Amino acid sequence: MITLLLRLYPARWRARYGDEFELILGDRPLGPFDVADVLLGALDAQLHLRGHGAASVHGKGFAMTLRVGGFAAILGGLLWFIVLAWNAANNGAESGAYWIGLLLLAAVVTTLVALVGLSAFQARRYPVLMWTAVAVPALGAIVTLLGAIAIVIGGDSDREVVAGFSGWAISTIGVMALLLGSGLFALATWRTRSLSRPAAALLAIGAIVVVPGLAGLSGGIVPREIAGLAVLAAVIAFPAGWAALGVSALRLDRAATARIQGATS
Amino acid sequence: MTSPIPDLGRFAEPALLILVSLSDGPKHGYAIMTDVEAGTGRPLGPGTLYAALARLEERGLIEALAPIDRRRPYRLTAVGAGVLAEQLHDLAEFAELGLKRLGRSPG
Repeated sequence: MITLLLRLYPARWRARYGDEFELILGDRPLGPFDVADVLLGALDAQLHLRGHGAASVHGKGFAMTLRVGGFAAILGGLLWFIVLAWNAANNGAESGAYWIGLLLLAAVVTTLVALVGLSAFQARRYPVLMWTAVAVPALGAIVTLLGAIAIVIGGDSDREVVAGFSGWAISTIGVMALLLGSGLFALATWRTRSLSRPAAALLAIGAIVVVPGLAGLSGGIVPREIAGLAVLAAVIAFPAGWAALGVSALRLDRAATARIQGATS
Repeated sequence: MTSPIPDLGRFAEPALLILVSLSDGPKHGYAIMTDVEAGTGRPLGPGTLYAALARLEERGLIEALAPIDRRRPYRLTAVGAGVLAEQLHDLAEFAELGLKRLGRSPG
């Protein structure tokens, strides 16, 4: 992976920094945050390299930061709340399915950005867990996208598309993958204490209780009353967990800025 | 408050952190990264680190030393030390002003 990442940088940049950069990439486990940061760094180098030096003369550029992850988590939490609440209120009607599908896609993508942006410290201790937490929802995002396309093209979220699955069912499978990834992320965050533990616990609860909820509503495995309560708990806990983690990340980021300025006074 | 580290845009903050990290002596990339993370509690990715290092080197604020085991240490130049001192002075003045307005004495 390190060789592949290095190849993304311009040859002139690699000639100057390649050797030491390769070493730094091998110094500690590379997590999703680091890889995203290197991808943005390579894009920056490709877009902004000028003249004969190996450095960019442009101040503007791209960087993966805790702040990006924090804002994405808050926005993602808000989008999830709207999607889950709207879907529950819509009660299977076709009228809102198109917009719910679009919002669902936005929520999935935003949550993926949050997962990557907030995973830096967890990945240093649990790289495999964090890669799984990002890879499973990333695959889920593709599945959700395919389901959403099927809904848009077919114009009917319940029409069978492939192997007995409707567009809406395919999207739901993608969402389940994202819930699983969010649960794994919450577990790693809880264990590393890198962000708020209560927020991580809230997210984990939201990701777990949705399973008996959906199982009860669709298959009758769990009594309907309990399933309804579980879904209600998930609608509140899952978005609130992400939003609280986002706030926790922004607080950490702001505290770091304050420390930097405090140290200079 | 003026900004004596010109044209660094999104990289102004990482650049300042790198300059502060180098203020007590030369360090290679990984040492800078861990030093900044330990000091701020905030992650610094390798892509951001080298984007900022390259810009600082291009502007003559830091310079690379001879590699040791393929790791190249960096150190502040005289210009870089001056720019850093000026930036820290500005931040200190700004912090003092803020604390005064809050009715709290600095330090």
